[in-house]
Amino acid sequence: MPSLLRLPRLSQSPRGRLTSHFFASLFDFGVLTPAGSDALTHWLLGAVGGLIAIGLGATRVYAGKYAALSGSHSPEPYRIAVLGDDLFLVGLPMLLVGLLTVLINQALFPDERDFRILGPLPIRRPLIFATKLTALFSFIGVVVAVLHIALSPLMLMTSIGRHSEHGVIDRLGAWLIASVTGCIFAVLVVAAMTGVVTLVLSRTRLHALTAISRSLLLAGLVVCLPFVFRLPNAGASMAGQAPWLIVVPPAWFVGLEHVLLDTSENWALRLAAVALAATAISAAIVAGVYVLLFQRFEHLLLRPPSASPFEFPRNPIGSSRRKDSSASESQACRGVSRFISATLRRSQLHQGVLLGLSACGVALALNRLVGVNWTFSPPAVQPDSFLLYISFWAPFAVMFVAGISMRAAIALPMNHRANWIFQLTEADATRGGEMRAVDRVVTLYTVGLPVAFALAVLWTVLPPTKAVIAVTLVALIGRVFVHGVLIDWRRIPFTCSYMPGKRMLVFTLVPGFAAFVLFISFSVLLVHTALKRPVYALIIATGLAALSLLLRRSRIAEWQQTPLMFDDELPDQPLQLGL
Amino acid sequence: MLEARGLTKRYGGFLALDRVDFQVRRGEILGYLGPNGSGKSTTVNAVVGLIDPSAGSLSLDGKPMLDDPVEYKRRIGYVPEEPHLYTHLTATEYLMLVGRLRELPEQSLASRVAELLRLLLLWDSRYSTMASYSKGMRQRVLLAGALLHNPDLLVLDEPFSGLDVTAGLLFRTLLRLYVADNRMVLFSTHRFDMVEQLCSRVVILSAGRIVAEHDVSSLGDRQSPSLEEIFVRVTRQSDFTPLARQILEVVQSS
Repeated sequence: MPSLLRLPRLSQSPRGRLTSHFFASLFDFGVLTPAGSDALTHWLLGAVGGLIAIGLGATRVYAGKYAALSGSHSPEPYRIAVLGDDLFLVGLPMLLVGLLTVLINQALFPDERDFRILGPLPIRRPLIFATKLTALFSFIGVVVAVLHIALSPLMLMTSIGRHSEHGVIDRLGAWLIASVTGCIFAVLVVAAMTGVVTLVLSRTRLHALTAISRSLLLAGLVVCLPFVFRLPNAGASMAGQAPWLIVVPPAWFVGLEHVLLDTSENWALRLAAVALAATAISAAIVAGVYVLLFQRFEHLLLRPPSASPFEFPRNPIGSSRRKDSSASESQACRGVSRFISATLRRSQLHQGVLLGLSACGVALALNRLVGVNWTFSPPAVQPDSFLLYISFWAPFAVMFVAGISMRAAIALPMNHRANWIFQLTEADATRGGEMRAVDRVVTLYTVGLPVAFALAVLWTVLPPTKAVIAVTLVALIGRVFVHGVLIDWRRIPFTCSYMPGKRMLVFTLVPGFAAFVLFISFSVLLVHTALKRPVYALIIATGLAALSLLLRRSRIAEWQQTPLMFDDELPDQPLQLGL
Repeated sequence: MLEARGLTKRYGGFLALDRVDFQVRRGEILGYLGPNGSGKSTTVNAVVGLIDPSAGSLSLDGKPMLDDPVEYKRRIGYVPEEPHLYTHLTATEYLMLVGRLRELPEQSLASRVAELLRLLLLWDSRYSTMASYSKGMRQRVLLAGALLHNPDLLVLDEPFSGLDVTAGLLFRTLLRLYVADNRMVLFSTHRFDMVEQLCSRVVILSAGRIVAEHDVSSLGDRQSPSLEEIFVRVTRQSDFTPLARQILEVVQSS
């Protein structure tokens, strides 16, 4: 673990050392080399600096906004803007803290590894639990402090206007209490979910289900990001006491903030009551899990694995039921397909990378759609051209990010030293089949996810026939895009070592952004042109189908001739800085 | 017969194997002994095709490995020293993966995997991922994977580590019956007792070179030295008493 992530030497006592150990293990994802961990440390420190800088930068925007609002005669617009910004200033830290807690959820509770490593040492169990909690609270505390320092200038900007109803110090104090409580609630909810899964399920089941629950939680929180950034627009709903706000957690804590500011509105009191009750319930669950774990640690974590077919098919031996449908696929293709699917189902890391990054694409697309007032129902009138453009744009944004996510996920190794079995059985004859399996999985995800997204969006803005044509084109463009995703790919997924930071971030981000813009623009243009006349659609669809077929054949032919890669390599050419 | 001639492996300036010659004949288990760092694992990795030797050749029944490396690998089963397995898979899934990578027919593969799991006492754990397996259970999975395609040559790198007494006895009997069917076993180990009980011949390696080759059956003779004595002599192992004393002095000092 990098030295920068260690707590300063609290003391030489076991308590200090153990807290320091648990603090460092929060960042132990299991696949990073020492160099990778070092890079992560610097990245985290950079992120903290960046966050504070963004907070300060946004102050200028808020200053302009509130200067204009202070100048208006009526206090109402000011009040509505403050309510919206209150939601945002409470919701953003809650979401970020929640996301971070999901990322470190492997370290929320003492686990089997802690038990096996620390158990034989002369350390009492209360000390293990106490230091684990201290490390966790220290980390969360630092994050919450940094977030609130970064956001406090914005809070000040919302409090110093002519129409402000409360004093600056009062508002700042109430916000800090409410927002920090909201952050604690976010941590507790994630911890409660993790804890309940830990307690309820046996070890065998636990592994798969924690992976799935964590990945879904991560993806869900990432998808929430654009909605949090739109919370400043929800001031009017808050002022109008819209019923839907009762299911929006940041609104509960804004209610609490207002109660702390001495409001007597029933609405705020109700929201505050929900906030406190939810926090208390999640705290009780977490405390209960800790107490149970403390009392029955060996029994709960070291019980023998259940011999239950819960997560595995009833017929784990073979695939005889599917034999007919897959008679043409080679044994190697079948083997690698199952290997990829099992790994993606059970590995927290790979699932997290795949779903977490893909959720960024979905969030980006939803953000644009929400921005043009898209709703999940057919419009009453002909949609405007910008809504139509964004509806075409969104599935391709999802496709681009899904492709990158899939490539990133399958590039990460899983038990790298176990890859000897693939090395031992590598042959020209089987390599084609093995890589066909890779092609299939990547195609399924990179085309399937955007097609599902396109189906959900396009039927709301296009007549059925045109929607079908557009979705077909999304699928065909996706087939061509898969070639880009698999360019230079010559690995069985999860079997090659991974060398992070092979090239400078800027050399990845700039061409990546250019590719994103070009790919989406060209794809939207194709769909737009195809929808003008049926004959255009036919020509474009035929061309895309032929191209995708040709590209697939060429890459499979190339794979059959090129040996597989089991160790990551540095790029052939040194990077030219061009100074 | 497996034949290694002038097998050499260099890692930069370091010579891991230096012109090693040995043969594993049909119907025999060849013991391959050596201290840590002597080149045992390098030899094993070269024999199974995981690394390319810098010089020298390997042939199986007179057919050089380089003529058809795929066919050569098809005839070999391998149990590595450490149980490096995809522990997120169940034993069934892992063995099915191995069988499919070796292009075994699906139907016979499924029944063979099921039978092996039953016979190797892994059936009750078939739904559990191997992350929850003991080292001995993992060794049994590895042995099943090595035997799955009915190879001519088994290359075993410390296959008995982690096995309980019963499984150890089963493995020994299995290996004897396996070579009785005119197959070959290259058995790399640190354990003299295993070599004495199982092998017909032994090759001793030191600093990348073969320093002795013995017929194990002659070692039982009262006039001849024991395998351990031969090993200590040819690998120039010193008397360990002073070193052991030093270790105890370190831990006993305040």
